[in-house]
Order: sequence, then C-alpha cells, then structure tokens
Amino acid sequence: MKKTFWRCFVCNDIHYGIKPPEICPTCKVKNAYVEISASEAKTCLAPVPEKEFTKEDFLRAIETLAEGQEFMINPDRARLETLFEGIFNNERNHGLKYCPCRLICKEFEEDLKIVCPCNFLIHETYKGVDKGECWCGMFIKR
Amino acid sequence: MAKLIMFHGRECPHCRAMMPLVDQLEKEAGIVLEKHEVWHDEKNADLMRSYRPVLTPQCGGQLRVPTFLNTETNAAVCGEIPYEKLKEWALK
Ligand code: SF4
Repeated sequence: MKKTFWRCFVCNDIHYGIKPPEICPTCKVKNAYVEISASEAKTCLAPVPEKEFTKEDFLRAIETLAEGQEFMINPDRARLETLFEGIFNNERNHGLKYCPCRLICKEFEEDLKIVCPCNFLIHETYKGVDKGECWCGMFIKR
Repeated sequence: MAKLIMFHGRECPHCRAMMPLVDQLEKEAGIVLEKHEVWHDEKNADLMRSYRPVLTPQCGGQLRVPTFLNTETNAAVCGEIPYEKLKEWALK
C-alpha cells in the first residue's frame, strides 16, 4: 500500500500515511481527513516558519519518545555528545539526521531506515538481547 | 595485492573504540590497514558503497561502521569486536 497525503478539513493538519488518523490529534474532530495531492501538502506546509531544532530539542524529543518504554537514553553523556555531533553533521552535510554508525547507500527508501531515531527494536544488538541497545548504543534497554 | 581496509565514521563511538585495537594490531602484526572515513569524505563513501554487495550480507544487510574488509578474500567483519576476532580476520 502506498503512503499518501491527507489534510484535516477542520484545522488543516497534514498527515502522510496509508490511512489518516481517525481522530485528528490537533482539533479532535472525528473522520476529518481528506486525501490531497503531494503538491497541495507541500503548498500547505511551505509557509510554516523554519525553526532551529537544537541538540537540546533533539534530546528532549528522544527522551519523550523513551518515556514509559522498555528502553531509555544511554546515560553515558560523552557517548551521546559524540553521536549528536555526528547526527547533526550528517543532517547539515547530507540532508537528514543519518545514523553516524552506518552509511547511506543513496536509495531514498533504504536510507530513511537509518534516520535517527531508527527502528532499533529490530536490531540484532537489541531484539532478544538481555542488555540490548541500538546499533550505536544511544538507546539501551532499561 | 590484498588490502586490508577499515571503513569508519568520525563520530561513531564503535569506530573510536576500535582505533586503539587497530593500532595495536598494526604494531603487533607489522601490517597496515587502509583507513577510510566515510561521512566526511564522499570518495571514501563511494568506495564503501562500491563494496555494498560484498559487505551487506556479512553486516546485517546494511553498510555499517566500523567495517573491516579484506579486498582479496572479501572477508568482512563489522562493529565493535574483540581484539582476537580482529586479528583473526586480518591474518586469515
Ligand atoms: S542505531 Fe541508535 S543512534 Fe543510530 S540511528 Fe538508530 S537510534 Fe539513532
């Protein structure tokens, strides 16, 4: 199934996926999404002001992601700093927050799999491993 | 002639951890590994990508760093590995 764009006809939230959310997360209206073209989605999003997303913002985002989950952020701050440096350098030099411990192969769909945070739950360093961690050791099992 | 290559990333903690082991191995075995940093050098990245069919089956289906490759036998090992395993790869 192919992902496409959807727009909430009440609050104009944009969603990208095979199906829209049943309840709009912003305005809470039910069944409010209508399918739209990629160009309409891009036009809707274009005026959204660019806002710097700092390393602190990123840390806050991944901490929020880890809340209540079986994994947490590695408390080793030096390691985190090294990884953040790589992630942000990769975004600046290569366009997305690519994993510093892997390399893009220049196939977009494939490369999306290594945007941080990635789906590390399937990594062999994590899945079924006692003290599992993501390939880079940024997320570790609690 | 066979070349021993290490593909690494500047901000990869596994690569940093492996560097002293690589130094030790070079001294002990009297060999030299060709080191290619892949995130800040496109030529090195392209070189690593050119080995994709050889590397990915041996490295979890992806291009990962660090990766150690013997260009003659195509034997590759990836990630943070014990010294003995690195030595075994290098001297095989
Ligand atoms: S392995 Fe860890 S650091 Fe690397 S992209 Fe995935 S979550 Fe991020």
